[in-house]
Amino acid sequence: MPHPLSCLTPALNLLGANLKILPATGGAVEELQHPDADEIEDTLLNREAGEITDFAETPTPSPANLYRPTPPLFRAEKHLFRFFIDGSLRTYYLGTGLEERRSFPIQLAQIGAAAMVRHDDGRIRCLKSQHKILLLIPTGQYGLSDTVWQQLQPLQTPDGFFEVVDTTRKTALTPRDPSEEDPRTRAGGIARHRMHQLEVELIQATAAERNESAWLILDGAVKLDDFIKEPFLIGVAKSFRKDPEFRFGGGRSTARRDITSILAGLEFAHRTVAFSAHNGKVAFWYVRLRPQEELDYPLMGVVKVELPRPDGTPVDSDLADLISRALVAERNVTPYGWDRRWHCHLYPIFLAEQTIKNRFYSQQVLLGAVRWPKPTP
Amino acid sequence: MSEETVRQPIGRTSATERDPTTSDKFRFWLPPDTIVNPFDIVVVDQVNQAGQPPSKTYGLVTTLEHRTDAPNDLANFISNNFGELSEEPNTPRQGTTVAFVNVLNNTADIYMPVPSERLVYFADLEGIQQALGTDTLLRDRPHDAIPAGLIKMSNGASAVAYLDRRYVLGPESAHVNISGISGLATKTSYAMFLIQSILQRARDPEKIAVIILNVKQADLLQIDRRRDDPLPPEQMELWEALGLEPRPFQNVHYLLPRGPNGQANSYPPVPGVHTLYAYDLEGTADKLDLLFSNVADPSGTMEGIYGEIMTGITGRDYEFKDVQSWDALLEFLREKQGEKGRWRGMFAGSSIGAFRRHLRRIVQTRQTGIFVQSRSRNERRLSDVLVNIQGGHTYVVDIAKLADDEQTLVFGDILRTVYAVKAEEAENRTETAPVPEKVIIFVDELNKYAPSGPKASPITQQVLDVAERGRSLGVILISAQQFMSAVHDRVTGNCATKILGRSGSAEVMQPDYRFLEQDLKMAVTRLVKGELLVSHAVYRQPVKVIFPLPAYRQEQS
Repeated sequence: MPHPLSCLTPALNLLGANLKILPATGGAVEELQHPDADEIEDTLLNREAGEITDFAETPTPSPANLYRPTPPLFRAEKHLFRFFIDGSLRTYYLGTGLEERRSFPIQLAQIGAAAMVRHDDGRIRCLKSQHKILLLIPTGQYGLSDTVWQQLQPLQTPDGFFEVVDTTRKTALTPRDPSEEDPRTRAGGIARHRMHQLEVELIQATAAERNESAWLILDGAVKLDDFIKEPFLIGVAKSFRKDPEFRFGGGRSTARRDITSILAGLEFAHRTVAFSAHNGKVAFWYVRLRPQEELDYPLMGVVKVELPRPDGTPVDSDLADLISRALVAERNVTPYGWDRRWHCHLYPIFLAEQTIKNRFYSQQVLLGAVRWPKPTP
Repeated sequence: MSEETVRQPIGRTSATERDPTTSDKFRFWLPPDTIVNPFDIVVVDQVNQAGQPPSKTYGLVTTLEHRTDAPNDLANFISNNFGELSEEPNTPRQGTTVAFVNVLNNTADIYMPVPSERLVYFADLEGIQQALGTDTLLRDRPHDAIPAGLIKMSNGASAVAYLDRRYVLGPESAHVNISGISGLATKTSYAMFLIQSILQRARDPEKIAVIILNVKQADLLQIDRRRDDPLPPEQMELWEALGLEPRPFQNVHYLLPRGPNGQANSYPPVPGVHTLYAYDLEGTADKLDLLFSNVADPSGTMEGIYGEIMTGITGRDYEFKDVQSWDALLEFLREKQGEKGRWRGMFAGSSIGAFRRHLRRIVQTRQTGIFVQSRSRNERRLSDVLVNIQGGHTYVVDIAKLADDEQTLVFGDILRTVYAVKAEEAENRTETAPVPEKVIIFVDELNKYAPSGPKASPITQQVLDVAERGRSLGVILISAQQFMSAVHDRVTGNCATKILGRSGSAEVMQPDYRFLEQDLKMAVTRLVKGELLVSHAVYRQPVKVIFPLPAYRQEQS
C-alpha cells in the first residue's frame, strides 16, 4: 500500500536537491496553536470595527436598553439550525531551508473543513468535508528562489489535495508585510486563512437546502477577504476582540460603553441589540448561552453572532430574536473536558471540528512521509 | 440472490492505538438501531493465501459497551444545565455501542488480528457450525453429532449446537456436568433432554444403558409415559429444529426403595410396574464403607472397624458366623464393646461403641425402611438388578425419600456395581445379553457425594474413580449440582462438557469458573429460565442455548 502522503516526496526531494536543509528535531515538530487564535482573527478581520457607533436593528433600539430576552427555542419546537461548518488545522515545522544567503522555515499544514447536517431526530451527519496538505514556504527575498518555486508548482496534485503555498502573500489574516512578523507565525496565519477558505467553499454544499427554516452556522466571522453574502447563515464566534468601544448618540448625550461592561450586564438567555459593522454590511450582537453564576468570568458563556447584511439594511428584531433563541437552545451538549471553550462552544460545531481532526493523518504517518534526501558529498 | 448478497452488515471492526485487535479478540462498533447481544456469533472477512478467496474469522460477542465523547460524568452533568432533568439537548451526544468479540475460528486457520474497518455480519447457519468447529463433525461423522440445544441469535436466526459424541461418551473425553441455582427446574430437564438426544441420535442405542437417580419428588418416575397435555407448538418446533422426536423414554425400569411397611417408599404417583430394592446385611457387607462416608473419622478408627467387619462377613470369618442381620451385627458390636481389652488388639471398647452408635442410627433408628433384617421375595438387592444391566434400557433408581446416608449408599452401590460389570469383574451376572458398551449415570446433587475439599470419603473416591477412569470403561457420568465450586475439582475437571445455568456472581467468581472470561461470567448471572451456557471440548468459547421441555409426563405429589 503506498504511503498516503507520498505526494510530498517529489517536493521534498526537489527542496533537498536545491537547498541545504536543516531538518527539525525528530523530522517534524507540531506547531502549538496560539491560545487566542480566534480572538486574534476577530481583531484582524474586524480591525475597522474598533469603535461601534450604529445599531443595525429595526426598530432602532434605545441606547438606554441594549438587551432583549431570548428564551431558548428548542429543536422540537422549531428546528432552525440545520447546517454547521467548521474547520481545523495542524501545522508542523519541518526544518530550515538555506538557499544562497537566505534561510527560511519550511512548514507543513494539514487543514480541513466539514459541513455537518442535523436531521429531524437530532442526529448529526457529515454532509461534505475537505482535507488538504499545504507545504508552506516563503518566496522571494524572504525565501525560495523563483526557479525552485516554479519547479515546485507542478508537483502539486491535480485534485488539489497537496498545495504549495507562498507564505509571503498578504491575506485577511496576514495583512502586514512579511518583514514585520515572524515567518513561522505568518505561515500559521496563511494556513488558517486557507482553512477558512475551505469553510467558505463548503457553504455551497448547503446552498440548495438552506432556507428561512434551515439556517447554517459558520464557526467564526462572516468575512474573510470578502464579505460572505450567502443568505440564511450566521457566523458564531466563541472568542472575539475585547477592545471595541461602543458609542451611541451625539454631543453631550453620547453614551460610551466598553464591551466588558455590556457583557457583564447581559443576562442568561438574553442578547444585546444588533450593532453595525463594516458600514452596515454585517450586523452583530452577543448572546449569553450560560448564566454568569455558573462560570468564572463575566465574558465567558457569551458568543458573538454575525449576520451578513450585503445590502446594508438593519436586521429585524424578530429575526435576531429568533436566531438568538435558537442559539441559546444549542448550548447543550457541551464539550466540557475536551475544550476549554466549552461554555460557548456549540456541540455540532465541535463535532465538525472532530470530524476533521479524526481525518487528519497522525504524526507517525506524517513523519513517515517526511524523508529529506541525504546530502550529496 | 445468494445469501451473501442479502445479508446486512451490523458494524465495522475497530482497532485503536490503545485497544488493538489481537489473534483472540476484536471489537466492532454498531450503527444506531442495530441490535446485537452477548453470545451472538459474527463473521468478518480475513486475509487468505495468495489466489484464495478471503477466509472468514468467526467470533463470539462477549459483551457490549456504549461509549460517548463525554470524557467524564461531570461533562454529562454539565451538559444537562448542571443537573436539569427536563431539557432535551438539540443535538444528542455522540456515542456508539461497541461489541467485544472473542475469536472462535478461522476457516483457513489464519489467526492474524482482524484488520480495522472490516464489515461485520451475523454468521449464517453454516457459519455457526464453522465457528464452533462442528462443521467437520457434521460432514464426516454426522451420526456422532448430538444436538445440545438451539443457538438463537439477535437477528432471529437459530442453529443447532452439536456436541461431539466422542467427547461425551468417549473415547476422546467424557462426562457432562451441569451447574446452576435451583428453582429453575432446568438442570434435570436439560440432563434428560441430553440423554434423550444421545439415545435418539445413536446408531447403537441398544448398546447404551442409562441409570437415572430420581432425587426430587416424583420428577422422573413417569418418564416412559407421554404428557397428558400436548407440548405447546413452540416447544414442538424446538424439538423439530433440533432434529429430535419429542417422545418419552423406552424400556424403563423403576427401582424404588422399600419403605417401613414393605411398600415402595416413593412420592406418588408410584409407577405401576416397579422393582423394590432393600439392603440386608449380607448384600451390604461389602459396602459398609459407603454407609460411613458422611461420618467424621479423622483418626481412621471407623475405617478400621468397618474394614474388619466387611472382611469378616464377606470372608465368612468364624467370629461372624452368627452375624446374619443388622440386629445381629449391632448385638455383636455391643458384645465387643463390653469385652475387656481391645477387639482384635486394635479397637477400644469406646471406639466400637461410637461405631455402633453410628451404625444403629443409620440402619435402625433413622432409617427409612430400606434396611431389612432379611429380604422378602419381591425385594431385590439393587446390585443384583444392575449387575444384569442391559443396553437399550433405562433404569430409574428412586432415592428421593431416602436419608442422606442411604442415598450415599445407593449411589455408591450403583457406581460399584456398574464399574464391576464394565470391568468384567461381576461374577453374578446372569443376563446373557452383552454388557452395554456405554452406561450413562445421571445424578443430581453431586456435591453430596463428591464435595470439594482435600478429604476423599469412600463415596467421593468412588465418584473420582468414575470421573477419571470411567471413560475408558464406558461409564459416563452426567452430574448436576447448584454450585460447581461445591464439587470436587477432579470431578468437574474431568467433565469435557460443562453446562451452566444461571448462577450468582459470587459463585462464578470461584476458581472453578476460570474457563470463562470475565464478561461471560457476568452473562451467566443474567441467564433466564431455559437458557444454558454450553462449554464443550470442541468449542473454543461457550455458547448459549435453549432446549425444549421434556416430552414425558411430569407429575409431582
